[in-house]
Amino acid sequence: MSQKEQQVIQAIEDEALFTFAEYDPEAAERVGYSDYSYWGSTLKIFLKNKTAIFLLALMASLILFTTIQPYLPNQKSPTKIHVDPATGHPLRNQKPSNEYWFGTNVIGQDLWARIWSGTRTSLLIAIIVGIWEVGFGIFIGAVWGYVRQIDAFMTEAYNVINNVPTTILLMLLAYILRPSFRTMVIAMCATGWLGMARFVRNQIVIIRDREYNLASRCLGTPTSRIITKNLLPYLVSVIVMRIALSIPGTIGWEVFLTYIGLGLPIDTPSLGNLLNEGRQVMMAPALRYQLVFPAVVLSVITISFYVLGNAFADASDPRNHY
Amino acid sequence: MTQNEREVIIEIKNLRVEFKGKGRKPFRAVDDVSFEIYKGETFGLVGETGSGKTTIGRAIVRINPTAAGEILFKGRRINGVIPKELDREVTRKIQMIFQDPMASLNERSKVDYIVSEGLYNIKGFKDEQDRMAKVSRALLEVGLLPEFASRFPHEFSGGQRQRIGVARALIMEPEFIIADEPISSLDVSIRAQVLNLLSDLQKTKGLTYLFISHDLSVVRFIADRIGVIHKGRLVELAETEELFGRPFHPYTRALLSAIPIPDPQIEKKKKVLVYDPTCHDYSKDKPKWVEITPGHFVLANEEELRQYEAMAG
Amino acid sequence: MTEPILSVRDLVVKFSLRGQILTAIREASLDLYPAETVAIVGESGSGKSVFTKTWIGMLDANGWADSGSILFEGRDIAKFTTEREWLTIRGKKIAMVFQDPMTALNPLRTVGMQIQEALELHQGMRGEQAKARTIEILAEVGIDMPDVRYHQYPHEFSGGMRQRVVIAIAVACNPRILICDEPTTALDVTIQAQILELIRSLQKKMGVTLVYITHDLGVVANVADRVAVMYAGEIIEYGTVEEIFYDPRHPYTWALLSSLPQLGIKGQPLYSIAGTPPNLFTDIPGDAFAPRNPKALKLDFVKRPPFFQVSPTHYAKTWLLDPRAPKVEPPETIKALRAKHDERYAL
Repeated sequence: MSQKEQQVIQAIEDEALFTFAEYDPEAAERVGYSDYSYWGSTLKIFLKNKTAIFLLALMASLILFTTIQPYLPNQKSPTKIHVDPATGHPLRNQKPSNEYWFGTNVIGQDLWARIWSGTRTSLLIAIIVGIWEVGFGIFIGAVWGYVRQIDAFMTEAYNVINNVPTTILLMLLAYILRPSFRTMVIAMCATGWLGMARFVRNQIVIIRDREYNLASRCLGTPTSRIITKNLLPYLVSVIVMRIALSIPGTIGWEVFLTYIGLGLPIDTPSLGNLLNEGRQVMMAPALRYQLVFPAVVLSVITISFYVLGNAFADASDPRNHY
Repeated sequence: MTQNEREVIIEIKNLRVEFKGKGRKPFRAVDDVSFEIYKGETFGLVGETGSGKTTIGRAIVRINPTAAGEILFKGRRINGVIPKELDREVTRKIQMIFQDPMASLNERSKVDYIVSEGLYNIKGFKDEQDRMAKVSRALLEVGLLPEFASRFPHEFSGGQRQRIGVARALIMEPEFIIADEPISSLDVSIRAQVLNLLSDLQKTKGLTYLFISHDLSVVRFIADRIGVIHKGRLVELAETEELFGRPFHPYTRALLSAIPIPDPQIEKKKKVLVYDPTCHDYSKDKPKWVEITPGHFVLANEEELRQYEAMAG
Repeated sequence: MTEPILSVRDLVVKFSLRGQILTAIREASLDLYPAETVAIVGESGSGKSVFTKTWIGMLDANGWADSGSILFEGRDIAKFTTEREWLTIRGKKIAMVFQDPMTALNPLRTVGMQIQEALELHQGMRGEQAKARTIEILAEVGIDMPDVRYHQYPHEFSGGMRQRVVIAIAVACNPRILICDEPTTALDVTIQAQILELIRSLQKKMGVTLVYITHDLGVVANVADRVAVMYAGEIIEYGTVEEIFYDPRHPYTWALLSSLPQLGIKGQPLYSIAGTPPNLFTDIPGDAFAPRNPKALKLDFVKRPPFFQVSPTHYAKTWLLDPRAPKVEPPETIKALRAKHDERYAL
């Protein structure tokens, strides 16, 4: 018999234990049922995912690096054509070396500098388009979802716009406006918000008639506050996931458009331009590095954001919070 | 005091509420319903799932639009298009308590915001200090501790959450509260807390309740008068003990016979009546809403009325 | 007394939730005898559902029977680990009817086929014979025009009718024990009364042992022969239905009965229990109900009470039954219930 049990038995002997205990009704009220916190649990589960942590660190350092890369010592210009001082010929198709870390391309530009410059361009487009999608797409989607009167009209409008293939729309815009960084951003912003708006609308329709929203209506809460206080906070996790997935999506579009010749002008390095250049020399085994380097960077970015988005979605799903 | 002298706070006249269904003909959730609620009383509205009882409550708070009829609050019409000022007054004076405390609180907001949400809408406070004082007072009134304001709803149990919902309504200083099945999703041991709280608040604040429930035994305990609703139509209305003692309509009688009684000897012997709607022959003689004895209304046609009068003796 | 057909001893069931361990069942014991109806009463979170789900291996993936035993037909089914072992019991020997009939019905198959399948699987009937029996069972559970209904899908049935179909499937399995987990909670009172009548008549006809899980004491009074009251994962009192309603001993049973509006007096406050049930993540040293019990003894906070015998069929887990304990009167409502009962007996 343990010492504790013996103590208890002795305690039973104690007549005092058979008297009434003091009753405290406040104590009965104070029972904190759980210390569960939504964001705390989300963070905890996300941190448990080691792959996601690694990729998050990788992406953070990648973005940091592309930003500071031009200011580092010994960096070359991404657009300068390097010329062999001895012969006066451009240094075309140089293999990776100490001087040109990733080699040079067919006209003698430094591939290392071009890749980071291109990544910077592509990521910048993706982030600008992503912010627009979030701002405009969520705004339209929230109003569309919550204000019943406009739902039928918006759905029809959506069907019409959505039935025009995005490719054709993007190509058209790229034709009308001159190919430039701005054109790219405008073209992609013009189409990207649609999916986001539809997504947010569907999510809002699911939760808008829950009792707590009825309660807010009974209290006379204006629609704008119902959307910002009652609806969007419930959607933060799915929206963050959509953003994470929209970044590789936008980069993919940029690569595709540039690849078919409607994207950025060739004097602006981007992942799309680099891949296109690399593809042209793909058949020569010795020059394949010109395709491999940008392809690797593109794949790492795409896969990382994709995995991160899904890891976050899993972590933020309350059903996984145990 | 006779009923004619009592002040009427809510009057519902020939109310009809329709929902657009899949077919061409809209679905009539509430059909030709009329009743009055007196100031300071608890009016129980009893019916089964889909009977339209919740729809009536939501029509009063202007969530469900009405198709026909009138809803009067202190003599002024509050359904349909009304001036903004009256809308604001209705929002303030008529409040609602919801069924499921797990669904009726915004999980992403702190109790502090949930309780003072209405105050923000009517700008019902002088400054931040005044607002916090009001929140604390409302929480204390429902038996919760002011320190709960800084917590999120998920930390609370069902009964506590329901009381947060009551505090949210109380802070508006309403005169009339619609309680839509306020205890049916609570645990047995918690129900009494909430019922007692509602009774206490009625006594101290002179509140009027519309208590909507499917559970006749709860309504019997809390309501002064009871209306029984079946498929969108009110079939019987009377003072509580009158209704239990002398039910006329066969649906009321079936409903009363089905109440489970927590006494095994009685419960095991009880005979359940089954209501068969085809027992009414309304093909020629349409039913009317008739006051059969003072304050006791029933939906019946001429022939049924004669039978009921014979029963009443 | 006859041999129990199922015997649960000191069952402990735990769940792993958000990295914490929750003890849902804390040493619960119960015997089931042939052809009786036992009602298990408790609030949500009292463990009444979990307790019975353990008998058919239907605990959620994060839960397990930690210790204790469940003896059924000479085997300790608490030790079962594989789905194959459970399939020899679940449905065949112990069947379950849930609150929501749609969870038990396949929406894509006709009602007739679903009952017939159970007959073919569990009673070895085939073809026309199985079909004829299916229609018979549909009629037995009170479904009009069974030969038409046989060809219909679950969505063509109302809630009460669906629950009848689920009961029909359970009947077709011809189990030894039928567990009904709040089968009428989602139904209207008039439908509930009809389903209760159906369950009672079927139980008599089939001679099955019925376990009825509910939070509604009115329903308990209707169906039960014996009652077990659960609180915080423990059975705190059990006895015949009359003993529990007319002579309850545990303060929690008192409180539960007294707080019913049916027994309250209009205009007076109802007897109410403060606070909420305890957090099962933490260790509960004494009587779990003590913090909510205004008349709790100091001992209640220190040591868990054992079962004290009140009668050969009636046991309660409260220190109040210890000879050394001070005398505590039950609330007025309980005395009134008792007085009404005595009055009836005197007549």
